[in-house]
Amino acid sequence: MGKTMMGHAVISTEGLSKRFGNRVAVDSLTVAVGAGEIVGLLGPNGAGKTTTLRMLAGIIAPSAGHAVVDGRDPASEPENVHESVGFLTESPGFYERLSAERNLAYFAAFYEGIDAKAAAARELARLGLADRARDKVGTFSKGMKQRLALARVLLHEPRILFLDEPTAGLDPEAARNLRELIVSLKKDGCTILLSTHNLSEAEELSDRIAVFRTRLVAIDTPRALRESQFERRLRVRLDGGTETCLAALRGEPYVRDAHEEEDGVLTMLLSDPDRDRPRLVARIVQAGGQVLEVREDERPLEDVYLSLVREEEA
Amino acid sequence: MKRRIWNVVRMEWAGIAATPSSLLFLVVIPLVLVGQALLLSWIVPRFVNPAILGPSATDANALRLLILRQFPFFVLLIPAMVANVFATLGIVEEKVSRTLEPLLATPVRTWELLAGKILSGALPGLLVAWASAALFVGVGYALGWGSLLRSVLTATFFLDVLLLMPAVSLLSFILGVIGSSRARDAKEAQNLAVLVVFPIFALIAIQVTGLVEFTPVRTLLLALAFFAVDAILLRGAVRLFARESIVTRWS
Ligand SMILES: Nc1ncnc2c1ncn2[C@@H]1O[C@H](COP(=O)(O)OP(=O)(O)OP(=O)(O)O)[C@@H](O)[C@H]1O
Ligand SMILES: [Mg+2]
Repeated sequence: MGKTMMGHAVISTEGLSKRFGNRVAVDSLTVAVGAGEIVGLLGPNGAGKTTTLRMLAGIIAPSAGHAVVDGRDPASEPENVHESVGFLTESPGFYERLSAERNLAYFAAFYEGIDAKAAAARELARLGLADRARDKVGTFSKGMKQRLALARVLLHEPRILFLDEPTAGLDPEAARNLRELIVSLKKDGCTILLSTHNLSEAEELSDRIAVFRTRLVAIDTPRALRESQFERRLRVRLDGGTETCLAALRGEPYVRDAHEEEDGVLTMLLSDPDRDRPRLVARIVQAGGQVLEVREDERPLEDVYLSLVREEEA
Repeated sequence: MKRRIWNVVRMEWAGIAATPSSLLFLVVIPLVLVGQALLLSWIVPRFVNPAILGPSATDANALRLLILRQFPFFVLLIPAMVANVFATLGIVEEKVSRTLEPLLATPVRTWELLAGKILSGALPGLLVAWASAALFVGVGYALGWGSLLRSVLTATFFLDVLLLMPAVSLLSFILGVIGSSRARDAKEAQNLAVLVVFPIFALIAIQVTGLVEFTPVRTLLLALAFFAVDAILLRGAVRLFARESIVTRWS
């Protein structure tokens, strides 16, 4: 069983696999997600993200291996798993001829010990749809339906959430609101598995990111993934004196590489960027450099992701 | 469990009430069938050549009785059609609106979902069929066919209406469910499910030709046979429905 970031594993899988006929959609996935953790699931189209979430949510049965969600096997007791899990499905379907309120009350009434109407009203308000509660869902925009779908997932206040592309189709403001909601759910102790194609969103929200392509390519913190693919570089912007600085730095044992990337900007590879940064700056100043800015040249997660996926491809 | 089944029933009805035009067939089908049965019994003996029929009123009444006797089998069509339409509407709508996956993500059991849908379709079907039977008897008496009707309203008639009809409407519903879980659209589903009408026509044909006499015992056995087929098919339907292919392929 893989290690988790926090606490004990709330979701774990062991060799979880799914094939459709001859096509392998998910190949022997073994992961563990700790309580209160957000894990982002990244992968190209057809990578098996939705299939994985469906297996974890007990909607489809694995071909091999098994999963444990909240101490239960979703394949053998899906209904019990559903009591503690909220699954935002890829396509948010509703009964379009009925009101938002009626739709939510219907789904809420399947859970034990819930006041369906109250739950529906509460979640409509939380997702900012209270004023449209009585309108037919058929009159809703795509983004409103997506928010309504999220409201539906939260009706029974689940401790575990599987969110399949939650911000797909949302405008920037609605997407931001939704990300804030996800963060607040995490603060309340929810464990969240989140599939997305939005890399900055994945990085912003996730404690760990799983890059997935039929098989698990990598799973780690965004920072660790980045370091696994790219060395950390420091960018130093100077107001003149780049030549002398460069010469001085090349003599330092902890500087593994230094060059002028663009006019007045030096890029450096250090043995240990955290340890070496102060003395690097001191050395530059000593050599007469006017330091305007020092920052880590962070590769976008997109580069990290593409590098991982291509590595897998090769 | 009961709460979840009722939840499904109420939702089905709410959905149908939201498009009242779909309720029209609930009124039209029985009126057509009752009217047809009564009209035939009224007209046919009048227009049949007396040379064939024989001159006496008893012969005309015998013919009329023969036609009236078909009615119980006619009414079988009502719950069958209603259940069938409800089943296909109910399942196909889940398919079209993509609500099945979110639904299966709740704690509802497949059989509860199907039970809810069965009740939502079979109950109105039965009610309408029983109302039609009452209408038929009422109008028959009003037309002064009391004595004829007395020989129609036998134990067989009541077994037919109270047992055979529910069994048939269940069958129709289950076929509707199976049809719609296999089919790609409502039309295809209904085409498959319409098969249930054929056994009913076969029953009518057997009755008309007089090949088999429908005694109370035989009617009872027939109803039991239908229920047995229902039970077998229902298990199949639950299994078919639970199959992931519905979630993944229904899109
Ligand atoms: N019912 C099915 N029958 C056959 N193949 C299927 C079925 N469902 C999924 N697949 C296949 O399984 C693979 C994984 O699909 P899945 O929907 O899980 O991908 P995904 O990672 O969610 O992709 P996307 O980013 O496009 O949503 C794909 O190759 C897909 O064609
Ligand atoms: Mg997907």
